[in-house]
Amino acid sequence: MLYIHHTSCISPQKTYGGEALSFDKNSVDGKLLSIEPDYSGIPINILRRMGKAVRMGVGAALPLLKPGQPNGIIFGTAIGGMEDCIKFLNQIVQYEEGMLTPGNFVQSTPNAVASQIGLMTKNTGYNITHVHRGLAFEMALLDAMMMCEEKPDAEWLVGGVDEISAYNYNIERLGGWYKTADASSENLFTSATPGSIAGEGAAMFRVSGKGTNAIAAIEAVETIHTKEIIELSDRWKEFLDLHFGKESPELIISGDNGDSRIVPFYKAIQETTPAGADILRFKQFSGEFPTATGFALWLAVSINKLNSLPDSAFISRRGIASYRNAVIYNNYKGEQHSFILVQLP
Amino acid sequence: MEKEALKLQLKQQIIQFLNLVSMKPEDIKDDEPLFGEGLGLDSIDSLELIVLLQREYGINIQDPKEGRKILVDVNTMVDYIEKNRTK
Amino acid sequence: MSRILVTGMGVVSAIGSNVAENRQSLINGICGITRLEGFQSRFAGLMPFGEIKKNNSGLAAKYNLTKPGITRPCLLGLMAMKEMLDDAGLDEKILRSRSTAFINATTVGGMCLTDELYHDANAADTGSPYLGAYDNADTTLFLREYFGIGGVVNSINTACSSSANAIAFGAALIKTGRADRVIAGGVDCLAKFTINGFNSLHILSNELCRPFDESRKGLNLGEAAAYVVLESEDVAQNKKSYATLTGYCNANDAFHPSSLSDTGVGPYNAMHGALQKASLSPGDIGYINAHGTGTENNDLVESVAMQRLFENQPAFSSTKGNTGHTLGAAGSLESIFSILCLTNQEIYPALQFENKIPETGLIPNREYRKYVIEHVMTNSFGFGGNCTSLIFSRS
Repeated sequence: MLYIHHTSCISPQKTYGGEALSFDKNSVDGKLLSIEPDYSGIPINILRRMGKAVRMGVGAALPLLKPGQPNGIIFGTAIGGMEDCIKFLNQIVQYEEGMLTPGNFVQSTPNAVASQIGLMTKNTGYNITHVHRGLAFEMALLDAMMMCEEKPDAEWLVGGVDEISAYNYNIERLGGWYKTADASSENLFTSATPGSIAGEGAAMFRVSGKGTNAIAAIEAVETIHTKEIIELSDRWKEFLDLHFGKESPELIISGDNGDSRIVPFYKAIQETTPAGADILRFKQFSGEFPTATGFALWLAVSINKLNSLPDSAFISRRGIASYRNAVIYNNYKGEQHSFILVQLP
Repeated sequence: MEKEALKLQLKQQIIQFLNLVSMKPEDIKDDEPLFGEGLGLDSIDSLELIVLLQREYGINIQDPKEGRKILVDVNTMVDYIEKNRTK
Repeated sequence: MSRILVTGMGVVSAIGSNVAENRQSLINGICGITRLEGFQSRFAGLMPFGEIKKNNSGLAAKYNLTKPGITRPCLLGLMAMKEMLDDAGLDEKILRSRSTAFINATTVGGMCLTDELYHDANAADTGSPYLGAYDNADTTLFLREYFGIGGVVNSINTACSSSANAIAFGAALIKTGRADRVIAGGVDCLAKFTINGFNSLHILSNELCRPFDESRKGLNLGEAAAYVVLESEDVAQNKKSYATLTGYCNANDAFHPSSLSDTGVGPYNAMHGALQKASLSPGDIGYINAHGTGTENNDLVESVAMQRLFENQPAFSSTKGNTGHTLGAAGSLESIFSILCLTNQEIYPALQFENKIPETGLIPNREYRKYVIEHVMTNSFGFGGNCTSLIFSRS
């Protein structure tokens, strides 16, 4: 069991800092860009070099480092600082492999986020970056679970981040992963067309193997690679049987991204769930990106305090005052799936 | 180019190259150390400044250690540029 | 607690297409660092590289791969994994099992297609066949699908320590009962991206790299794929095994984005932590396959850290003098080289070494010799101060 003690989230919605939380921002041109804070905790001399992914990751992490040094930093990102990566690439072409500035190169490696947090806070512990595309954040969680089993007293910073840069937006758009017409968060679930809308964000969690004062616990993280709906349904049934018996989870947080090619997977999950679960969708708030389950987990952990979630975000809602558990199901590009079981106090 | 004009231009270029977003040329003093105390630049910045000298003034510095003798402050950089520039 | 055994190995590098060829090259002191032939780069004529002299179309034909969009790391990874699976006797059924995991590491991945990426990222109107191939997970997902691996699958990128961390993560999966066996390792290919990146940091040498030599001038980049099978002793039972993975530790130097601290905080902590994990003392280590890139900073700091930890310096060398620095593949490649030392009770000559570093005076092993070793350590240190040490012991 992995216990969550603190959480922090930079996203396209108002989810960061002390301000009132709200979920009313819609996409612009098919993109949901993060509401970035002023990053006053990051020294200006360090901030100047940071690309957006590094900035968001470090910015979300800093509030969780106030209780003292964690034993290590465990991170998930599919692409890290893509913007710096392509800036460097563009230099290679523009200057024909001549003298190039190394700043972009150093910032472009995906482990720049976790290492930058380590560097700024002089954290000499475990420091790792999982980059397994749509399961990068889940792998960070799994890693943290294993660390907590081995050293229950230790504390870990776990998180995920991915950015929208002009460059990865282009690559994903050319790949057919964004809607070409009518791409907006308002119409995400009604358009019935291929593709989704672009999103980004950073979600960080301070965790340990000890349950005292925890705000949530993660009981299971399961990851599956398959393109077959039937295989997914079988694994889902097996997962629910194992953890809930004949009961239903109280809340399912669905990663439905409105992509008509992916929606059947979510339908199958819905159909194989025993009646009685509320179902909440979140990609109209976060947009689609490989580590969007970080946002979903933040949502799950915070769900009983969120008064501002609109009813329209729920496919079904029975009006439970306080959820005791939630399962996140996410599907990335029709081949990477995850179930995350969260217990709430 | 007049020395003072060159200094101003160099400061603008340093700000742009190193993305010193919050600084203006007048914030950088001519004799303020670029590294350590002062501007607080580091070894990656020094490599960036070597590229600046190459791209803007046609000065090739192969050995980064040699660079550190030139990149002391704006004055030393300007002196070196005046003597060695090829463009 | 069940031990973690290494029951299979597969490798392709600039000094050989399989484990046996690599060992023979190490014994004979062969340097695989040569002139670049595989792609066009301004650096092709300026500096040498540890290039694998096999072209992509030949490799694709060898494995009957006709689908577009398959990158070089997929092909090299496939080659090394096939050898490893044969070696460990893993059949399709075992691969499909949910208790078989696959942990892959790469730093460059499909970005070796630097020109295609430039084209796609800057939004030409139509995409190349490689649109899905640029991230670090693409090679992993290709290999997973090819072999139908059924358990936990993951990709790790911690720069030059990536595949050492893949092996450590695999070990944790076995220890916590999440897998019975894990295929772990890494692959990286030469790319304009990394060549220009390392060049911009002024740490590439235009001559053959000289790890631990006083006049070292920098590293040579190389390419490789290297995988091992880790199996829980409970399921491996009487299978042959090469070694036991006894120690692993990752620690962060937390000093600088691209260089190590003077006293080697991260390297020391990684080596020390691995010893603790293995319940060994420094005197038990018989040989160290050092990170030893040939850069001024790494080799000095690694020497300082070794001297702080080891009262009597064990035999050591860096095989990067043979293969070049293979980045994300270096940790698993050098794990295999270390295991070869252990199983054959031998150590290999360090290449291009002439004079010791004055500050530390350490001299790497310079000749091939039979050598009694119970435990070997292998070091991998990466950008961002990411330091990992692994220890393998005789089974």
